[in-house]
Amino acid sequence: MPHDHNHSHTEPPSDVVLRVKALESLLLEKDLIDPEALDLIADAFEHKIGPRNGARVVAKAWTDPEYLERLRTDATAAIAELGFSGLQGEHMAVVENTSTVHNMTVCTLCSCYPWPTLGLPPVWYKSAPYRSRVVVDPRSVLAEFDVSVPDDKEIRVWDSSAELRYLVLPERPEGTEGWTEDQLIDLVTRDSMIGTGFPKTPTDIQ
Amino acid sequence: MNGIHDLGGMHGMGPIAPPAEEPVFKFDWERKVFALFCPAALAAGFNVDEFRHAIEQMDPAHYLESSYYEHWLASFETLMVEKGVLTQEELDARYDELKGAA
Amino acid sequence: MPVLTKEMAPAIIAGGIPANMDDDVAASFKPGDKVLTRNINPVTHTRLPRYARGKEGTIHMCHGVFHTPDTIAHGKGHHPQQLYSVAFEARELWGDDASGRDKIYIDLWDDYMTKVT
Repeated sequence: MPHDHNHSHTEPPSDVVLRVKALESLLLEKDLIDPEALDLIADAFEHKIGPRNGARVVAKAWTDPEYLERLRTDATAAIAELGFSGLQGEHMAVVENTSTVHNMTVCTLCSCYPWPTLGLPPVWYKSAPYRSRVVVDPRSVLAEFDVSVPDDKEIRVWDSSAELRYLVLPERPEGTEGWTEDQLIDLVTRDSMIGTGFPKTPTDIQ
Repeated sequence: MNGIHDLGGMHGMGPIAPPAEEPVFKFDWERKVFALFCPAALAAGFNVDEFRHAIEQMDPAHYLESSYYEHWLASFETLMVEKGVLTQEELDARYDELKGAA
Repeated sequence: MPVLTKEMAPAIIAGGIPANMDDDVAASFKPGDKVLTRNINPVTHTRLPRYARGKEGTIHMCHGVFHTPDTIAHGKGHHPQQLYSVAFEARELWGDDASGRDKIYIDLWDDYMTKVT
């Protein structure tokens, strides 16, 4: 009977797929996991929690000086005001880019990343090339992202070795005077909040 | 420990090559492994630093070759056995059973 | 053994697992203090990266009291202590070929450092 498949019956499942199945099936049999809870957790990070949250924080900081001040004094509370809190964002710090400073974030020891504001990290953020290089040669790393920071600008790399999670507050792009928070959100990219990119400019989104 | 996970400053790891787009989970097994963290931590009673340390104990060559969520899987397997939730024999037997059926 | 149910999941996602502690533990350092990181090489878990051992830095800010990864990873208690953001000149970590402008900030626990006088 013909039917649609998005997987192959001819190739055996990989070693890792079988290991996951072995672990999962044993935990299920012992009633130690609730499959509905697993699905709910995966779904939240797959579909609901992502860099749009961080973009909201940034756009608000760009348009609301009092919010910016709260972000500087207690980032965790200021971010929670917008409804973003929880796993891997229990303790937040915001680092501000200025005309003289460019910030970048990394976790050289594992993969720490602010989930509530940025979602789950991209694969490159968790991989050996980025983690090894960004602390010793941040400028060559930026070049790989097509980002150029002038030599006379200070680069600060934040290695999140503890439970503090860092969010970069990029500089507001020129030509956005009078823009609302909702308009500005569309300019804020994930990479601009990691420090491996800049926000989009008004011409980029035209 | 002076393990392979302590990557800061090492050379020769290659280009970063960030893709323009990527899915949150590339495979369904990654989605499953990700979702297991909190339930597994609660069931077995491990904390995030025990979880990290279990990753640090992976074979260093395999650490570099394997994908991120395989690190998590290795940590879960190690901790489930260490904490007495499962035995290595149970895991191995179930793996062999599934492999035979595949 | 406890099971994480679907009813519990939203609260865990939104509430997280905080790592700070209410214990009143004195801080050995204050912002602006010069510190020297210890040269330690434990076979156990630590969050002091190799590249930052035996290096001089400056306390940038105090984060408050947190539990200690080096002990909780091995069932040796929470050992609450002060956690700091510490600034290192790129040249202190990597030598004279590094940029004289750039800095690396690392979160480090009280135990990892001694004061430079």
